[in-house]
Amino acid sequence: MAALLRALRVGRALRGLGSVVSAPAAQPPCSSLTRGFHRAALRLQDESKADKPPSSSPSSTTYHEHYRAHSAEQEAAGAPQEHSASEPADEEASRPNTSYQDQSGEQGEEYETEEQLQARILTAALEFIPLHGWTVEAIAAGAEMLGLSSASTGMFYNGAGDLVLHFVSQCNSQLTDILAEQHNQVQLGQAEPKKTAEFLRDAVETRLRMYIPYIETWPQAMSILLLPHNIPDSLKHLSALVDDMWYYAGDRSTDMNWYTKRAALTGIYNTTELVMLQDSSPDFQDTWDFLDNRIQDVVNMATTAKQVQATGETVVQGLMGAAVTLKNLTGLNQRR
Amino acid sequence: MAASMRLLFRRVIRLSHRNVNVTAAGAPGRPAGCWEPPSCRCFSEAAGDRSTHFGFETVPETEKAKRVYKVFENVAQKYDTMNDAMSLGVHRLWKDTLLHVMHPQPGVRLLDVAGGTGDIAFRFLEYVRFQQERQKRRAARSMQAPSWQDISNNYSTEEEEGPQESRAVVCDINKEMLRVGKQKADGLGISAGLSWVVGDAEELPFDDDQFDIYTIAFGIRNVTHIDQALQEALRVLKPGGRFMCLEFSKVTNPLLARLYDAYSFQMIPVLGEVIAGDWKSYQYLVESIRKFPDQEEFKGMIEDAGFYSVKYYNLTGGVVALHSGFKL
Repeated sequence: MAALLRALRVGRALRGLGSVVSAPAAQPPCSSLTRGFHRAALRLQDESKADKPPSSSPSSTTYHEHYRAHSAEQEAAGAPQEHSASEPADEEASRPNTSYQDQSGEQGEEYETEEQLQARILTAALEFIPLHGWTVEAIAAGAEMLGLSSASTGMFYNGAGDLVLHFVSQCNSQLTDILAEQHNQVQLGQAEPKKTAEFLRDAVETRLRMYIPYIETWPQAMSILLLPHNIPDSLKHLSALVDDMWYYAGDRSTDMNWYTKRAALTGIYNTTELVMLQDSSPDFQDTWDFLDNRIQDVVNMATTAKQVQATGETVVQGLMGAAVTLKNLTGLNQRR
Repeated sequence: MAASMRLLFRRVIRLSHRNVNVTAAGAPGRPAGCWEPPSCRCFSEAAGDRSTHFGFETVPETEKAKRVYKVFENVAQKYDTMNDAMSLGVHRLWKDTLLHVMHPQPGVRLLDVAGGTGDIAFRFLEYVRFQQERQKRRAARSMQAPSWQDISNNYSTEEEEGPQESRAVVCDINKEMLRVGKQKADGLGISAGLSWVVGDAEELPFDDDQFDIYTIAFGIRNVTHIDQALQEALRVLKPGGRFMCLEFSKVTNPLLARLYDAYSFQMIPVLGEVIAGDWKSYQYLVESIRKFPDQEEFKGMIEDAGFYSVKYYNLTGGVVALHSGFKL
């Protein structure tokens, strides 16, 4: 009973911290408990993971983790990694298929949760995509490579969608790691800070380069992402990605700019991705040129917008002055 | 914490199953229809004299297997006809749903326990052959103009199809049912990749880690020790293998439940008498359905046996439940 209360307190502490990293610290006391308690502790941990509100934008949790990342360098790699591993868990836990209970609390083999095993299978399946495309056959080949029967593909109720979403979230977390690393370099003074436009350009290029090994089959993956039941998840990943890019570019705006900036970058990213699909130039040079031009357009437009605003204000002032003069001339301004 | 308490509680129930009649624990949640008279159920443990349910009767455990054997021996010839009559053909849809959820990849091995007349095994082989043909067609379409070397390679690989091909093993404790199944297979012309084995679900005659998929369709309620059958299933499955169980279960909608009960107890034994000339066997059938644990409880039993990612689908409003678990 005392052990159970200890586990509960640990769980509450985890929830309070909201940081996944303290999970390893909690493991040793739990390992001495019976399997049931371990499962309960895991469930609390996963509840704390699932508590990160999926309704509000996931970017706020990313910010939260990244603020911690600034204080402890080693956590930068751990937190986004766990975040991506828990994302499939959140997707699966929130998918209301049929009576489906308590899945996130199940303990897998070798103290590995089911979600981790599924992530491993999907990562292994990525190798077979050039051969099979983004399909369940690729997942089956991945499972077989890990030594599991191909019947385990039944665990993935979304089939190919699971595979694509896993890959996308993996790429996102890789990008976040790279950007965090660059940020640290700048903080330590080992690198020069880049201008916003150049930073965004490099970030988008880095991210799109991750698609190059799969570029042959990427149209199939995009079509899977556009299926109606996958749209919420793919939009979530896209918005998290764009948010991360702007965050590391230094954006801390809290007004309408937050939305306009992200909308602009989403547009740039999506159009560049489409251009990349049909690009046949060496090393996708045409795509990067296109990206340059689009970013330049946005920069110009921002400058033009400011100019228009300034001009508009001046014009309005001039008109006001003219109106007052007219009133004076016609004698309407006199006070009797 | 609730989960762990539930787990402990279930363990306690399971342990008490060894000593107490199964029906006692299955009592909460039964529809308030026909109750078994509470006679000498609990704690009547003279050495080895444990009893279990046979429909609404209480029989010693050793006798249940024999009586079930007799039931299926009697109905074997008319089994398929009766299935169609009783379920108005819907049992075919249930079995098709099982295959769709299973979605077997080419090259997997299936063990169909209590598979009697082979319905699942036939559907499985057909599904896999269709998948393989579709893959071949897709490969042929993507190959623009195969060179003569590719064509000759294709010819040679077709001969080697044997070891890659999926195999289904139908296992049943009842020789009569297997005989009927073999006759059906010969009639349909299916012979490649199919084996027929006599075996007890509680003690399968196979080595460990043999099969990719284990199915048991409408058979597990006839097994005397369900947990032993589940443990055997875990044993013979490969790591990553899937356990699938199709079984009658508790209807969730109360109105539908009343209709279903009326239909079961009034119509089915009559159909049995008229078509197969056997009232008692079909009386046993509908009673055994009532004795079987409901969806959640059975899911718990599967989890206890050691399966992960256990899930169930209700078909036809809960008349039939498809449970699925993985050996990870």
